[in-house]
Amino acid sequence: MRQTFNFGSFLSARSVVGDTLHELGSKYDNVWALVADTGGAVKSFRNDYPDRYVDVGIAEQNLAGIAAGLALEGNIPFIMGMIPFMTMRACEQVRQEICYQDLPVRMIGTGGGLTSGGGSTHNAMEDIAIMKSMVNMNVLSIGDPNMIRDILYQSMTYPHPLYVRLAQGKQDRVLYEPGKYEYKIGMGLTPRDGKDVTIMSHGEMVFESLEVAKALEAEGIDVRVIDMYSIKPVDSKLILKAAKETKNILVWEDHLMEGGLASTVADVFTDNGIYPKKFKRLGIPQIYAGFGSGLEQRKKYGYDQQAAITAIKEMVKKTK
Amino acid sequence: MADPKEVRRLEDLAFEMRKKLLNLCGHYEGAVHIGGDLSMTDLLIGLWHHGMNVNPKDMKMPTRDRFILSKGHGAVCMYIAMCLRGFFDYEDILRTYGKLDSAYGMHVCKVYLPGAECSSGSLGQGLAVAVGMAFSARQKKQSHRVFCMMGDGETCEGEIWEAANTAGSYKLGNLVGIVDKNNQLMSSFAGEAMSFDHYSDRWKAFGWDVIDIDGHNMNQIVDALDSLPPVTHNKPTVIVANTIKGKGVSFMEKVVGWHAGALSKADMEKAIADVEAAYVRERSKS
Repeated sequence: MRQTFNFGSFLSARSVVGDTLHELGSKYDNVWALVADTGGAVKSFRNDYPDRYVDVGIAEQNLAGIAAGLALEGNIPFIMGMIPFMTMRACEQVRQEICYQDLPVRMIGTGGGLTSGGGSTHNAMEDIAIMKSMVNMNVLSIGDPNMIRDILYQSMTYPHPLYVRLAQGKQDRVLYEPGKYEYKIGMGLTPRDGKDVTIMSHGEMVFESLEVAKALEAEGIDVRVIDMYSIKPVDSKLILKAAKETKNILVWEDHLMEGGLASTVADVFTDNGIYPKKFKRLGIPQIYAGFGSGLEQRKKYGYDQQAAITAIKEMVKKTK
Repeated sequence: MADPKEVRRLEDLAFEMRKKLLNLCGHYEGAVHIGGDLSMTDLLIGLWHHGMNVNPKDMKMPTRDRFILSKGHGAVCMYIAMCLRGFFDYEDILRTYGKLDSAYGMHVCKVYLPGAECSSGSLGQGLAVAVGMAFSARQKKQSHRVFCMMGDGETCEGEIWEAANTAGSYKLGNLVGIVDKNNQLMSSFAGEAMSFDHYSDRWKAFGWDVIDIDGHNMNQIVDALDSLPPVTHNKPTVIVANTIKGKGVSFMEKVVGWHAGALSKADMEKAIADVEAAYVRERSKS
């Protein structure tokens, strides 16, 4: 169901996934929903298409293997689960069975970054690094809950494995007016233009980036914000354009600084021999975090709004 | 009871297959997983030449039975069983095995090998994929079976039992597991490190029907395959086949070093002579 637009209001990405899969299930008889005791969001799918719904209990490796078997038979399985267990417990199954055989399995994970509230066992800070390292895998990190709907529809004709990272998935900020933008695997989006500095982020951090851009506007710093929801494949053109036009780049993400979007962006600079004047990254340092809200932890570990504002002022001062 | 003529035909094929395997092993420079190949030779002949509905002229025939070799290091054994059925050319396997761009390598690779249902090599993963295929077939009301060949050693992997539990819970009657129970792992005998006691009971506990057989007795192999329940049955079936690693070659049988090995020309001749002598002995009995 399409949502009315109200910037900054909350919507559950999980229920958008549930509604969308239900729609897809009625349109396509090869869509399956698979869960590892995580089926809350797909109740309507389970009720209406019970013969295409499998709950394997708490067994993510098995789930990935079963999804591969279904995909080998021409089905499009959507796996839902908590990120660390889908990407790490089942890491090898995802690699051997799904990626090696290049199968159209869709993995939708919740609890991106330090948003799970469960502490280090449940935090998802390595997932992007792990998933993007796998040949044939495509990696998306989505903040705007309505965007997920378009991406899931698009995935029906996308013949490769797909990993979609969501934040908590319960209360996600609406960023974009439905229908206003086109979202495509391999593309990025520029919700705010600017000429002094570009913040590239994904997931929850896009909202934070827009907030920081607003705060800095008052101080005369013109910030461009790029929502790099497609991390692999990544929109190289958009990255290079930002490097040329704004000279300062800050990558800000709720993921380990090593191996996340920042590393991908650095790869793009290296591969093309085009570099910004200043390039900085903010994200999770080499720690195993404890408990608390995402907001509290971002502050504690030095990648909250204040940290971004300080980093940007520093960069702009040096290049102005 | 199995038709004696059919059993004899299959035994002759298994004899031919052992010779072809050993010949390849003797001609290939590197190591071949010959021990576990020889333990499942009779089973693969039973499957590819009797138990499974397959068509070498139409490898992707929708009604075909699906076969997953979960013990992927036995790939060459599957290539030769399929080759004898008309899928591949033996000379082609012999000439290119393990070489750059060959379809025939140490482990099953679907990217290169036409007719392979699923890539394998990392142990313990095949059964879950087979469960996925069985789910699909049941939902589409298809009548084929999904067969999954496992080694007993790889059933130390937890994922096997996750998949076994799912198959039992969801009553996948169209799924058939076969365990090549040769009582050896790469570096030890069953029971030395990990216990394999009450093995068939483990499967029963997960909701499977179990058929215990001598995996080198073609009568029993044929009987087991002929007695499989209809795909609508409310339990998956596992054939626990008691076998001997290195079966047929005196210096390989139950020898830990022959999990994988390279064979000199002289040893190859000795091995083939062993297989021939055993064949003559069996035939003189009947």
